[in-house]
Amino acid sequence: MTVDARKGTLLGGVPRWTGYLIRPVLLGAVCLALYLWVNSLQLDSIEQRVLTQGYIVQRLIEHVWYAFATTAIVVVLAVSAGVLLTRPFARRIVPAVVNAGNIGFAVPSIGVLVLLAIFFGLGFYPALAAFVVYAFLPVLRNTMVGLQQVDDSVIEAGRGMGMSKSAVLFRIELPLAVPITLAGIRTALVLAVGTASLATFIDGGALGDLIDTGIRQSRDSILITGSVLTAVLALFIDWLASIAEDVLRPKGL
Amino acid sequence: MSEKTADGANNNPTDGSTDHDVMIRLEHLVKRFPGQDEAAVEDLSMDIYEGEIVVLVGPSGCGKTTTMKMINRIIEPTEGRIILEGDDVTNVNPDQLRRRIGYVIQQIGLFPHMTIADNIATVPRMLGWDKQRISERTDELLETVGLNSSFKSRYPKELSGGQRQRIGVARAMAADPPVLLMDEPFGAIDPITREKLQDEFLRLQQEIKKTIVFVTHDIDEAIKMGDRIAILRQQSKIAQYDTPERILTDPTDDFVEDFIGSGASIKRLSLSRVSDIKPANWPVAEISEGHNSVREKMRAADREYVLLLDERRRPKRWVSMDDIEGDGVPLEEAGWPAVAIVEENASLYNTLDTMITSYKGSAIVVDSEGSYKGVVDFDTVLKTIDSMRPPDQRLGHINEDEADPVGGER
Repeated sequence: MTVDARKGTLLGGVPRWTGYLIRPVLLGAVCLALYLWVNSLQLDSIEQRVLTQGYIVQRLIEHVWYAFATTAIVVVLAVSAGVLLTRPFARRIVPAVVNAGNIGFAVPSIGVLVLLAIFFGLGFYPALAAFVVYAFLPVLRNTMVGLQQVDDSVIEAGRGMGMSKSAVLFRIELPLAVPITLAGIRTALVLAVGTASLATFIDGGALGDLIDTGIRQSRDSILITGSVLTAVLALFIDWLASIAEDVLRPKGL
Repeated sequence: MSEKTADGANNNPTDGSTDHDVMIRLEHLVKRFPGQDEAAVEDLSMDIYEGEIVVLVGPSGCGKTTTMKMINRIIEPTEGRIILEGDDVTNVNPDQLRRRIGYVIQQIGLFPHMTIADNIATVPRMLGWDKQRISERTDELLETVGLNSSFKSRYPKELSGGQRQRIGVARAMAADPPVLLMDEPFGAIDPITREKLQDEFLRLQQEIKKTIVFVTHDIDEAIKMGDRIAILRQQSKIAQYDTPERILTDPTDDFVEDFIGSGASIKRLSLSRVSDIKPANWPVAEISEGHNSVREKMRAADREYVLLLDERRRPKRWVSMDDIEGDGVPLEEAGWPAVAIVEENASLYNTLDTMITSYKGSAIVVDSEGSYKGVVDFDTVLKTIDSMRPPDQRLGHINEDEADPVGGER
């Protein structure tokens, strides 16, 4: 990674930008192909009701909303938890919390979703809560690993020069943990896009509606549209996250 | 506490004859780590004088690093007091305290995500210096440690180990603290670079005159770097706190003697300069004087050899009476070339080394210009070694077995 980034700067911006552009161009081509294919079909009444611009865009927005809301909440909760759990006073409770996170991650996401729906009812918010539970662990784990891999001597040097504990945390530990934490957040984002397709099962909307309708009504056009758009969205968001990783990685690492 | 402080002088340097002020006074420091029966540091008291390098040296686990880290309270003492420039700092805000004390560790601990300039600016920024002042100070420090301003925008990973260590020192000195703590600062560096950095640091210290507490496990480094050395045994108990010269010539007990190891006499020689001893008089003549004058000088001095100098009084040839019997051989080519030349500031160790390789067991001393100052031979050096000993151990005469520094190395 580091080597690639360096190469990019050494050769100037051009190779790096073409590298960045490959994926959106491919994804755009896939969307265009999908559009042309759907347009070429003779749509029946069910398909005509679902495969409209308004309906699809609405589901897409819901899907994106799930992904980003989940990630935002997870980042706040899991990064804070990661910071707290790496402080000396928390050493004893770390295994318990990591285990809890493991359980949340190991339970199939649909299970978490349905359980939460049973307790809190149907709709957006229970679905969001389920996705947060599911995406919590990768961010927590990566934050902790990111903070733990910071060289003790760097922290000692900071403290030894009279930086306060919080200054060391915010100016040294967290910046140095950024690459690993960001990798966890990227995983969480991609997970959130994937699991958001399940929201439809507790009446939560998103692109899962298309897939579900496609299966129930045996309409391949709807099923394929929903699946392809979900995949394209996941790859697109992963692409955005990869750019964020490159931009936010501290220089000098 | 107050009745205890009176005997804090126990561990003051034995010669006591210093005109410096006490910069750091440690009073009855104790450190017990939780879950350990024995204290890591047991009742340590010592005075550290302004402008001196004090080396804490001892075997692994003797508590030397713990002791040093209690001075800036990276490790909080369990008992005892720390007095810095007359202020009791045992209970002040540790972050404020540390900004007055430079800190260099073996792993250096440069912040990898910050440029060299930002690394150096760490403490000045905390102290609220303005940008202009920080920038000027950074330039100055880079020059002081033998680097230049082009390093400012670089990142630590782009630097060699030696360069990083210099930045570590520059960063510690950024806000011009009166005290530097150095924990095996040259420990992780290859031997050649280490020696270079040690020499540079000593030269730098000549200018900056900081009070430095230096931790190492290497007695040779301690002898080289220290104005005073505290040899510590387990629990940071002071076995001897003294100048390197006295530790080498007069170790207090077997522990110190064992710790110094073999070759103490040889090590002692590296601390004295050839300029400290009076070179023997030797008949010299300038080549331009001609054969007759040289023969006369040789007879007058009753020596077998005369040293010939060129017109700038640089040593050229050794000649004996046989070499210049006739006038046939020009003086420029008579005898042997004058090798085994040392400069005045050479250590006795190097001088002795040169002598061993010379024809006659003597070395010619020259000044920095290369012109003749005198000749030293084994006898002179042995007398000097003898005078370094404490009075009760002096030989009064040269005894082959004991006084021969070469034999002394075993």
